[in-house]
Amino acid sequence: MTEQAAPGALDGVTVIDLTNWVAGPYATKMLADLGARVIKVERRGGDPARNLEPFLQDEPGPDRSATFQFLNTNKEGIVLDLATDAGRAVLYRMTERADLVVTSSSPAVEEALGIDYASLQPHGDPAVVSLTNFGHTGPYRDYRLSETVLYAMGGEMFGHGLASREPLKLGGTAALLQSGSMAGLAAMGAITAREVHGIGQFVEVSLFEAQIASMDRRSSAILGYRFSGRIVQRPPGASSGIAGGVYPVEDGYVEVTASGGNYWNRFVEMIGAEELRDPKWSQPETARNPAAKEEADGVVYPWMLTHTRAEVWKAARDAHALVAPYFTGMDVFNDETFRGRGLWVEIDHPVLGRQPVFGRPYVLEKTPWQLRRPAPTLGQDTESVLAWAGLDADAVPTLRSEGVVA
Amino acid sequence: MSQYLPLEGVRVCDFSNVWAGQSVSMYLADMGAECIKVENPYIWNPMTRAAAPKLSPMVAAMITPWMGGHPNNDPGPRPWNNSPAFIHVLRNKKSFTVDSRRPEGLAIVKALIRLSDVLPENLALGTLEKLGLDDDAIRAERPDIIILHLPAFGKTGAYVEGRGYGAHIDSAAGSSILRGYADLGPESNTQIFAGDYWVGVHGAFAVMAALRHRRRTGEGQTIELSQVECSAQMFPQAALDAAWNGREQHSIGNRSVEGYVPNGVFATRGDDRWIAISCRSDDEWRALTMFMGRPGWAMDDALSTVTGRRANETMIEERIAEWCAGQDRDELFHALQKAGVTAGPVLSARDAADDQHLAVSGAWTHLPATDDYPETDWVSPAYRFSKSDVRIRTSPALFGQHNDYVYRDVLGCSEDEIARLTEAGHIRDTFDQSVIDGA
Repeated sequence: MTEQAAPGALDGVTVIDLTNWVAGPYATKMLADLGARVIKVERRGGDPARNLEPFLQDEPGPDRSATFQFLNTNKEGIVLDLATDAGRAVLYRMTERADLVVTSSSPAVEEALGIDYASLQPHGDPAVVSLTNFGHTGPYRDYRLSETVLYAMGGEMFGHGLASREPLKLGGTAALLQSGSMAGLAAMGAITAREVHGIGQFVEVSLFEAQIASMDRRSSAILGYRFSGRIVQRPPGASSGIAGGVYPVEDGYVEVTASGGNYWNRFVEMIGAEELRDPKWSQPETARNPAAKEEADGVVYPWMLTHTRAEVWKAARDAHALVAPYFTGMDVFNDETFRGRGLWVEIDHPVLGRQPVFGRPYVLEKTPWQLRRPAPTLGQDTESVLAWAGLDADAVPTLRSEGVVA
Repeated sequence: MSQYLPLEGVRVCDFSNVWAGQSVSMYLADMGAECIKVENPYIWNPMTRAAAPKLSPMVAAMITPWMGGHPNNDPGPRPWNNSPAFIHVLRNKKSFTVDSRRPEGLAIVKALIRLSDVLPENLALGTLEKLGLDDDAIRAERPDIIILHLPAFGKTGAYVEGRGYGAHIDSAAGSSILRGYADLGPESNTQIFAGDYWVGVHGAFAVMAALRHRRRTGEGQTIELSQVECSAQMFPQAALDAAWNGREQHSIGNRSVEGYVPNGVFATRGDDRWIAISCRSDDEWRALTMFMGRPGWAMDDALSTVTGRRANETMIEERIAEWCAGQDRDELFHALQKAGVTAGPVLSARDAADDQHLAVSGAWTHLPATDDYPETDWVSPAYRFSKSDVRIRTSPALFGQHNDYVYRDVLGCSEDEIARLTEAGHIRDTFDQSVIDGA
């Protein structure tokens, strides 16, 4: 994992990372993974994300969380108590030397710790990206969020699921990660503006608005309502079109879209169903006729149930049909094509040993995504970061004994 | 050097389509790039400007509102200029038309490439090659250009021939298996396109990283973003549980992977009104039970820890559902938050449009009417820069709206050339009738 000759796109960028949990650390991971020097500042006891499942062999421990590993690859780590004057003095020495500071505390905590923009700006005029639940103004400013509440308020959940049932969340912490990625993009904008125009500035990302502002059924649904007065609702049933939706196969499930025209023809080709070739199957009226759907399913189901997911997926590719397998996490990990293309890499960690983690999310030809190190253990880089910040080596034992650093 | 825009002076020759691709270039345009969308009046790209080039009010009304909710439920003669799914991603962009399949059209595209810094594309695999615009040909015009490809399943490997929109990418990325009702099978899943958000943001991020490398070295590069591989990383808990522990995760409905119990979505008074509630700590659980008036069932000491609550999760959910059923959603939301419990309403599009917080937070940008849509509030970019003018600076680009600017000011065509290209049908402000008729 140390075979690194290629340059990183963000070599030379220094980021002070004051974020916790999921969204903020994902934003700074995006920067670290492309070569930025990201110094993760943890409170005493560490980022609570160290307690996030899953753990290696299901045993909790500060360095055993897979989620924490994922979120913090390529970062350095220091433990610093920002509730103390001495701790803040160390922080401000660090910001003097940094391009960007990223925070993810509530507005009240930002002020209490002296990491709000007004407090940080005099110390090096860094760009500051602040992730908050709901921003710094407005009636919800101090409200709490979870993954589920974020997705609920974000505007997409209302239309996800069945009309007869409760609205549904996404898997895992997808909404937090999405909003975090938006903050990562904003951070890239702030770094660029700093390098091109020589300015520091304050960049605000509210997790709530980073859901509302997304195209996919959030801003589009809101604009659709403003235009038409109609609101997106959960559908009464899961199927879509004449042969469409999730079908069971011999060993799992597949997602099928086979509405009229080309995609219908390719689908029919894929399952080799001569009886479905008739042009009537591509008529819009047919698609809305429940009896026709039942008739088609009478052909589609038996075919599906006698083929494996791999067989269906191969047939779909051969026919260029809009059909894809329902992959589980096991599939994503074991899939030979993903592996062969480099989706997975391995960390070598003092506690975890060698473990697989996600590799590059995209292939940058000249400045590749690189795994340089696993997530930091608690305070792993405290000494070297303090030296970089210009602290006298003599001062460090006192800071340690007073609990300011660890 | 006005406005401190991060991507001032960067030009994007935009071949992106659908949502993922068009949101990549939208983010670049937000950041200040001059994004010129290349449009062909003789080709209809599915899911890029509207559900279809000809749409009666009756058909539009049958299409889900995020796509078919055209102004006053009447798409009018130019549905491609007012589908809510697609007109929004054209903010801050410019649109010009050219039939790139004809030699003189291809020459125009190449001239634009020579003047461009970034070329994002997610056309069907092989489309650009058929036009004679493979990477080498693009680079022959502009050696330091940054090319972004967004294939659904990768440009190499066994899945190259796979075809997919959002639902299929979601499916193969391991997303769909993790959502759905825990008591029903995946057959009951409806479609969602979680990957579009993710791919749009990551594509723009990767381009901006590559632009930085180019500023420092003069070197351009090609970026390949496989949508399925990128989107899979939105679900690290399930993938890493598989990789580290050999465990296969399935949907847990609305329960939490963050360790919160209870965590769910509950019906409140009225029609289709729901509230999400999470107890993120034992303190929040105590706050919730205090707020509920310390009901007897909740006072069991075993429930004071998350382990104890997890053992009784179904019972707790049933009690909370009963308790929520008669209450007003929004009163409960504010009261729970003030009591120290994490809660929030499940906002419909109407609720979001009426939301009191979004009304004052800068979430909306009011834009004037055009011939194709009325004046209304549009959703602002989610990031607020204190100095850089990153916001909706220009209204969404109507089809062919910037032909004059692109042909005259960018490409420097003469009046004669413009007349000739107009005569030949390259420069148009509508799709060709053959496209509209579906011929």
